[in-house]
Amino acid sequence: MSGRSRHARAILGEELYGRLSETKVLLVGAGGIGCELLKNIVLTGFGHITLLDLDTIDLSNLNRQFLFRKKDIKQSKAMVAAKTASAFNPNVKITPIHANIKEPQFDVEWFRGYDIVLNALDNLDARRHVNKMCMAANVPLVESGTAGYLGQVQPILKDRAECFDCVPKPTPKTFPVCTIRSTPSQPIHCIVWAKSYLMPQLFGEDEDSGSELDEAEKQGENAKEIAALRKEAQAFKAVRAALRSAPAEEASSSSAAKLVFNKVFHGDILNLLSMADMWRSRAPPVPLDFDAIRAGTFVLNRPSQNGNTASTASGQANSSNGSTSTEKALNGNGASTSTAATPAAGGAGLKDQRALSLQDNLELFVSSTERLAARLRAGEDTISFDKDDDDTLDFVTAAANLRSAAYGIPGKSRWEVKEMAGNIIPAIATTNAIIAGLIVLQAFHLLRRSYSSLRNVHVQFKPSMPLSAIAMCPPNPACGVCRDTYTEILCDPARVTLKQVVDGVLGRGADTDMDSNEGEGPEEVCVYEDKRVLSDPDWDDNDNRTLESLNVTRGKFLSIVDEDGEYATIQVAIGALPPDHPADGSALILPSPLPKPPRRQKPRVATPSPPPPPTTTSKKRAAPDDEIEEIDAPSAKRARKDEDAPNVAASFTPSKKRRLEEDGLIMLDTAEEKIEEDPDVIEID
Amino acid sequence: MSHKESQNIEQATTTVTTSQPDDKTRRYDRQLRIWAASGQAALESSRVLVLSSSATSTSILKNLVLPGIGHFSILDATVTTPADAGNNFFLHARESIGKPRAQEAVPLLRELNESVQGEAVFKDVKELLGTEQGRDWLTGFSIVIAHNLDKPTLEELSTLLWSNPNGPPLVAVRSAGFLAEFHIQYHEHCVSQTHSDTAPSLRITRPFPALLEWARSLDLQDMDPTNHGHIPFVVILVKLVDEWRQSHDGNLPKTAAEKKEFKSKILALKIKPDEENFDEAEAQAWRVWSEPAVPSDVQALFALPPLPSTSNAHTPEKHATFHALLDTLAEFTKDPSGPGTLPLSATLPDMKSDTESYVRLQNLYRQWAEVEKNKFKELFKAKHPQLADSANPEEVDTFVKNSHHLRVLRGKQWGAFDKDREAVANSLMMAPRETATHLGLSALTNLLSSDASKVTEDALRSEVQSIVGEGVDLPEELDAAIGEIARAPTADLPNMAAFLGGLVAQEAIKMITEQYVPLNGYCVVDLVDSWTGVIG
Repeated sequence: MSGRSRHARAILGEELYGRLSETKVLLVGAGGIGCELLKNIVLTGFGHITLLDLDTIDLSNLNRQFLFRKKDIKQSKAMVAAKTASAFNPNVKITPIHANIKEPQFDVEWFRGYDIVLNALDNLDARRHVNKMCMAANVPLVESGTAGYLGQVQPILKDRAECFDCVPKPTPKTFPVCTIRSTPSQPIHCIVWAKSYLMPQLFGEDEDSGSELDEAEKQGENAKEIAALRKEAQAFKAVRAALRSAPAEEASSSSAAKLVFNKVFHGDILNLLSMADMWRSRAPPVPLDFDAIRAGTFVLNRPSQNGNTASTASGQANSSNGSTSTEKALNGNGASTSTAATPAAGGAGLKDQRALSLQDNLELFVSSTERLAARLRAGEDTISFDKDDDDTLDFVTAAANLRSAAYGIPGKSRWEVKEMAGNIIPAIATTNAIIAGLIVLQAFHLLRRSYSSLRNVHVQFKPSMPLSAIAMCPPNPACGVCRDTYTEILCDPARVTLKQVVDGVLGRGADTDMDSNEGEGPEEVCVYEDKRVLSDPDWDDNDNRTLESLNVTRGKFLSIVDEDGEYATIQVAIGALPPDHPADGSALILPSPLPKPPRRQKPRVATPSPPPPPTTTSKKRAAPDDEIEEIDAPSAKRARKDEDAPNVAASFTPSKKRRLEEDGLIMLDTAEEKIEEDPDVIEID
Repeated sequence: MSHKESQNIEQATTTVTTSQPDDKTRRYDRQLRIWAASGQAALESSRVLVLSSSATSTSILKNLVLPGIGHFSILDATVTTPADAGNNFFLHARESIGKPRAQEAVPLLRELNESVQGEAVFKDVKELLGTEQGRDWLTGFSIVIAHNLDKPTLEELSTLLWSNPNGPPLVAVRSAGFLAEFHIQYHEHCVSQTHSDTAPSLRITRPFPALLEWARSLDLQDMDPTNHGHIPFVVILVKLVDEWRQSHDGNLPKTAAEKKEFKSKILALKIKPDEENFDEAEAQAWRVWSEPAVPSDVQALFALPPLPSTSNAHTPEKHATFHALLDTLAEFTKDPSGPGTLPLSATLPDMKSDTESYVRLQNLYRQWAEVEKNKFKELFKAKHPQLADSANPEEVDTFVKNSHHLRVLRGKQWGAFDKDREAVANSLMMAPRETATHLGLSALTNLLSSDASKVTEDALRSEVQSIVGEGVDLPEELDAAIGEIARAPTADLPNMAAFLGGLVAQEAIKMITEQYVPLNGYCVVDLVDSWTGVIG
């Protein structure tokens, strides 16, 4: 074996090389970066690798995820990648897990079992989650991401360098509800409507929106509009039923699709037109006629002064890139993405890049609705949008284009809709290979504890300087994640109350007076789980409820926030009781010693504002500027962090950069650029 | 629906569902969004030669096979050692040992993408360089990539490829431990699709007739208030420039005071304080005072001298059309009946407006861009009738569409930098870290040609000294570089191989697709400190 490892020993040195075989690595993600990274760490000689991914293999992965073959399509990425890679080094133990990293069994204790965590994720939500778990478990993390020719690697170590959430990430785009529901003006509005409103209404869970509307009425919203929405919801019941019932006879196979069409593109539009006020200063939509479009006799007569928006039944799929920055960001139509993909450059072009006529869209709508309805009848409970699920992509393309036609908005090709609705990030093997190589290097630095060598590294778009390396920044003192004090309790959530836990963690024993903790630690506290308030000094209704009844279970955190803002927040991770714990033993094991949250540094800014009140995601039509969240939108970070941290997201960024940022990475333009100008920089040794 | 079925469904259903892409498009979906079908076609017709099947070489190839090059050949006369098998993912862990390395690697690489052809050639490149037939074979590729080739052989190969202006570019890669560099050798590389992020001119100060007409027809005082808040900023600026010129003898705002006055005129037109389109017009007013007729980068290309005759090269045939188009473009900007600028770009930026006005503006730009493109094509036909007949119409369209961002790179032969002592001395002052590392690697290449055991820090230092010339001070940075090189002169770490594999393949793809701007010179990599730089 000495021959096999000659290269690695020569370069890493015996000491580090010897340690690698004992090192336990958690690799989160077996996609583009994950495959490259797994190969690198297997060949380098890391001894124990746990590989976790919830996804299955798709054909569009094969241009870069080189551990997969065509025969592996639809199988677990983690399983196949582990199998392919383990053949290359018999001394490595790879444990694949096909699961979501956010599942409760992957709690703080579990994370603590690793020497290092390597992120190869593709979404903000999971990145934040792993970051927080690594902060709680105090495990070093290397974070990474790519978009086309751009990429970034960020080593993260609690208390020594910025964590992933020290720099606020741009929040995903949202649109006002009424823009989506009644007054779209751009292709993206129609695509969001089709993907996030119509699809769930027809193929999603049968949610009773009645109570929401009752609530809205109580709050004094426009009664007329609520009545209209009630009517709309009732009508959805009928079409939902039609989609789920067997087709009556051959001849009327398109009847369910036609029913849907008539409801959303005819009835609902007539309904909207009846509210004349809305159309005083904007062009009204035109109801579509199913039979006339099918017969090719339908003419869109819109009262348009310039007559070139939607005057004919032939599609204009590629005629517009829209006109607001919101769409631009989502569409990614910067110089290097969609521009490259316009059919003009492609000659023969690609089939799904062609423009669709109104008639094409109708037929596509009918055929995709039928395919989806058949799947419901075959036993699928719900179907939601998935960019790699052709039936849903066809449906969203057709429905969005039909709605666009009714509103005089240019249509989009299936190719473009896929990119806009699916938040597709262009990806190639080369960038992933570069990034994966850099991740291992940063991992070496972390394992060797040579913290002065750590760098934030960017792969950039500059022929004169492909890489830029930036020295690490100290943690943001106002960070709502890594500046908190982490602790862990082991408990049976069904047998322990909120008050028991909070008092226990704060050292307020049952036999001790509340004031006896010698003035150390917070006096009055608010308790949260994520963004839910569970108690505050003036509200103790939940104090005697069990954690389980409050849905605070294994893998979650209780946040104990000092009402006066003097002490750091305590994050209490909820762990399970040890397996050998006696059944009649205490339901709660407190950490020893108890956490001692430090006094906050004199805040650079005013006292942190408390987290916002709990919000429920509701689709009701509320105030006019109420916003509907994009379907994949991760929850917004607590307000206090967003307000305190420097705002780097405000400046204009080119689209690909923006894409990367939406995925949670901050791209700097040059190596010289610093994320913040902090006078009291802490040197990392 | 499974992916295997998609083809059948496609064939079995109506024309509508054929909007679904075929398997190839689906496989390449994420990269087609980077380089489009034209880039993909270029990749698929390319033939790549790689010298050696080291971990680095196969990493490079992996990243070329995955996106779908047409064909690759690996030229390698060595057999697999245990060290090879331990760090090269494209060799079998046990069975490959003792067998020809390239022959073992090819099937594993081909497994990555069934549409790519590949072959192993179990020969020494020195042997091929020695015969006419061998030399012909070596020059018959789209691109040649060589990893850790010894100096005399690399010199001979680079001279062969350099002597033929139509020959393939040569990518010479050298790596040692955590240090590496690569150089791309080409006489000239022309790019029309640079995918630049800078926006083309909107021609606000040189409006085309339909745009000027729209601007002049607007009666800002007496129009619908909703429409007033939706006039695109372009139209507002065109109107104000027109009015300004009429009151300033045809001149634009020049002095700081004039510019300030111009801006205040914009804001004075607001009828409501929240009209964002006027705020945007003010913010974009800089376009009025810095809108060159031809961007300086493109102007410089018009004056580009022919390739130096000393290099024994003339314009490669494959660039003849590009140069004819460039010549036509220069003519277009000088044509008295033309706009005096580059052809109008149909691309509009994002702006505050309503859909109707935006689409109207977009259509005006599109229509006039078409008019100017046709004029350009007429000129092309008149100046270069033969090439205009034979040129691919798409190439012409692409050229015109991207005329604001054209690039022509002129390269150097591999090794030429090291022989130019003045250039090396300058580079040592400007970029000591990068240059020192490059010199260390050059010294290593020289030493390895004789005897690997001679690679000591002292030997490396004296070799560097002989490259730069006696008496030239060597920078401190050299110490770290030669320390690292002496520690692991020939080690090929999987990690470095992976990194280089990505970086080199990326540049090779840029060369093959003729999209994006590849680097020019030596790209030096230090993964101890995670930096790269380009010198030479």
